[in-house]
Amino acid sequence: MQPNQWVMAVIVGLPFLAAALTPLVYRLLGERTAYASAAVAAVSFGLVGWFATTGARGLVSWTWIDAPGFEVALSFYVDGLSLLIGFLASGIGVLILTYSGGYMHEEPGKMKFYATLLAFMGSMLGVAFAADLVVLFVFWELTSISSFILIGHYTGESSSRYAARKSMLITVAGGLFMLLGFLFLAGEGGTFQLLGTDRALLAQAESLREGLRADGLFVPALVLIGIGAAAKSAQVPLHIWLPNAMEAPTPVSAFLHSATMVKAGVYLVGRFRPLLASEEWQLLFVAMGLVTMTVAAILAVGASDIKELLAYSTASHLGLIIAGFGVVGGGASAYGAETGSFHVLNHAAFKAALFLVAGIIAHEAGSRLIDDLGGLWRDLPIAAGVTVIAALGMAGVPPFNGFYSKEFLFEATYELAHASGGLWWILPAVAVFGSVFTFLYSIRFLMLFFGEKPDALGHIHTPPWSMRLPAVALAVVAGLIGLGGITATAGVHIGPLEEFVRQVVGATAIDQSGEHGAHFSYYLPTEPTVPVLMSATTIGLGVVAYPFYDQLRDVVRRLRSVSLLSANWYYDSVVEGLDRSRAVESTIQTGLLRTYALVLLLAVSVMTLLAYATAAVGLPAFGSVASPIPMVIVLGVAVVAAFAVTRAPSHIAGVLTLSILGFMVAIFYILGDAPDLALTQLLIETLVLVLFLLVLDKLPPFYGEARRWVLARDAAASAVVGITVFLTVLVTTAASPASRISNFFLERGGVPAEHGTWILEYGGGANIVNVILVDFRAFDTLGEISVIAMAALSVITLVAMRERGDRQ
Amino acid sequence: MTENEPTVIARTVVRIVVPIILVTAVALLLQGHNAPGGGFIGGVLTVVAFALIYIIYGLEYFETELLHRTALPRALPGEPVEDDSQQRPGVTKEFSEVLAIGLALAAGSGIVAIALGYPFLSQAVVFVTGIPLFHEIEVASALAFDIGVYFVVVGGLLTVIAVVGAE
Repeated sequence: MQPNQWVMAVIVGLPFLAAALTPLVYRLLGERTAYASAAVAAVSFGLVGWFATTGARGLVSWTWIDAPGFEVALSFYVDGLSLLIGFLASGIGVLILTYSGGYMHEEPGKMKFYATLLAFMGSMLGVAFAADLVVLFVFWELTSISSFILIGHYTGESSSRYAARKSMLITVAGGLFMLLGFLFLAGEGGTFQLLGTDRALLAQAESLREGLRADGLFVPALVLIGIGAAAKSAQVPLHIWLPNAMEAPTPVSAFLHSATMVKAGVYLVGRFRPLLASEEWQLLFVAMGLVTMTVAAILAVGASDIKELLAYSTASHLGLIIAGFGVVGGGASAYGAETGSFHVLNHAAFKAALFLVAGIIAHEAGSRLIDDLGGLWRDLPIAAGVTVIAALGMAGVPPFNGFYSKEFLFEATYELAHASGGLWWILPAVAVFGSVFTFLYSIRFLMLFFGEKPDALGHIHTPPWSMRLPAVALAVVAGLIGLGGITATAGVHIGPLEEFVRQVVGATAIDQSGEHGAHFSYYLPTEPTVPVLMSATTIGLGVVAYPFYDQLRDVVRRLRSVSLLSANWYYDSVVEGLDRSRAVESTIQTGLLRTYALVLLLAVSVMTLLAYATAAVGLPAFGSVASPIPMVIVLGVAVVAAFAVTRAPSHIAGVLTLSILGFMVAIFYILGDAPDLALTQLLIETLVLVLFLLVLDKLPPFYGEARRWVLARDAAASAVVGITVFLTVLVTTAASPASRISNFFLERGGVPAEHGTWILEYGGGANIVNVILVDFRAFDTLGEISVIAMAALSVITLVAMRERGDRQ
Repeated sequence: MTENEPTVIARTVVRIVVPIILVTAVALLLQGHNAPGGGFIGGVLTVVAFALIYIIYGLEYFETELLHRTALPRALPGEPVEDDSQQRPGVTKEFSEVLAIGLALAAGSGIVAIALGYPFLSQAVVFVTGIPLFHEIEVASALAFDIGVYFVVVGGLLTVIAVVGAE
């Protein structure tokens, strides 16, 4: 069944509309805006669910840009994968917004917070359902921008600003790499449509891969898209923004940085898997995923803050998912798709729950430092229960949910190694190695609730229900998934869940018609297979190593403090290096208007001249210069006036002579049969003259002697600008195409001799300039007057409010 | 402008010339579709008239006599008046309103076309016949758009002049 297009429009559009209305709603409801926003999320969630249950699958499309050869459609595609991400964005959105109602109680900037969170949710839904590369990119970057605002929520704190800027730099830059990759794909495939039609990129995957290979663009496209995904999903070495992003309020961390936005990268990998699957794909993503999984898990062990621990753990699990999606060969491809698809779901459930628990701990116990916390279960029994389910899931302990997807990864890596042999045997070893650390930090997080309660920890309040319920709901989902495995072993499958994951697997499967996704199911192993042995090894090693957790942590910290080993060190060095380049500050950013004008004009001139040089533009022949006498006189006066400006003894005289020049140009226009231009030029000239005289009244008559080299520099700069303009006029006027555009307008502009009452297609006025402005190119004019309006508003802001900053 | 008072000649000339400029501006605006003119030019010409008043008679006269506003100092909307150094051109609010009305008119004239089922900003022309003296008058819907442009230009430039001039 085709999805209803208006339902689709509501799913993606409603959050944005609600975001726009948030200031109004906030005025009416105040704190309760959280619940109104949660209701909006619930509507989106319900509609996504409606698509899922009614079996609506397929393409919804609106024409957006229909320039021939560059068609971009505002198109959305509904399938298992997009529904999964859609469910995460809207469903966890409901819980997070409800939770925020309790968490944000005493925080500043709530209106901005809810509006941004809603806009983020809309962007994420857009990413999930986008079926067009351009649309995907736009929503993709919108998630980065809203995340930037949310991370920098506490605008007063420098750490917050640092974190926001870092995430912005990395994720937005990653998106730009991705865009370039998209352009390669679109260039080869001849369309921006990713999937859903016969011409779409995914429908011609085979020929697209071959075409790209023939042009030598396959690996670049793959790597560029990989960089985009890695930046968003915090893969090593681009993971460094994620721990800093924990500066954001905890609901944001739970929502964006564990459950949804970081999943965008994973989603991208899953989405492009059928399109780009190949040897190189496998090498790139399996390596990247497993390295990230291991490195981030080790770093998580070294964490001292619970949110930091969870952040590294998120990066680690995203690595696991990416490694899963990376496996495409050796008969293990289906396990790879199952790993990725299933773990997206599992990870979202347990990690969001854990973040909410971390928020409760921070909010109620007043500390996020791991060493300060312990024995919390007496005061926070519900949070403790949630943590048991979620943390054991994260650790991959059977029968909790994370165990099953990790089993698929073990199976995928083992099968791959078994089929390919050789160096591929590293994969299962690395998977187990990384998982041991995952087990360790998961248990460490769990132990916050057990053992002795430190004396320094004061009284712990009970959190409000709005904060407890969402965490419980997520734990229930995680628990149910785990339970499904137990019942499946007994022969009772949770039908809808398995069916749903099957569809996700189907969407990411390489062979789109393949049947493997069709019998996805998971269950507790009943006999010792290799993956089971791998799991057993992981847990066994973990249990043995746990008593030495503190020593391990110190080792990790010592390693991390070696700056050459830390990706952060490189980032900081580069950013700081760019930030403090004195050369820029002293020569360009002087705060003097004349420097800016000089730099701007010179840059434009030099680039224009370079463009002429590279395009090898020829100068027109001078032979055919023939001007009527009046024009020569007018231009002669203009030249004399221009010279006189440089010799003017005072400002007033200078301005007056300059306006002679302007008026001569106006007369030139009249002689050139352009009365409209002449009129405009005269009026502007008059206005400018009047304004100049007004301002000159206040200026000092004399500035002092200019230094010789300044004069020389200015003379040289004006010469360059003059030459550029001169050349431009020569070159542009020399071009005389056979069919002139003015004729096109002249034919259609005026009132035809045989006119009816209504003329709609064309202008219908005698003044062609005006008809172009208000009829043919009215949209342009609308844009221009908006610019005028904006300029006026900025003048108000800049001039009239400039002292306000000091007082606030 | 108190220290060097404009001459009587300047005052008298402005008094006579300003109405003429304004009428010309409106004429330019209205004839724009068929002869040189249009919203932009008409707007700039109107601003020239206002600028003349402003320069010769001062901003205060402008406020009290032309707009019947009470007096300076007045703050921007939402800004508390603290002392005399906070003087702001009170007319800025009116000018920004003109600006907003202009933008709304221009965009709205395009939306009318959508409501009638044509693409955004489609324009139409109606010929009204049987009018004495003129016999036939062409009424273009683009005029509404042009008036929008006019107001934006007037509002925008006057805002800039008022704010910068008050410095």
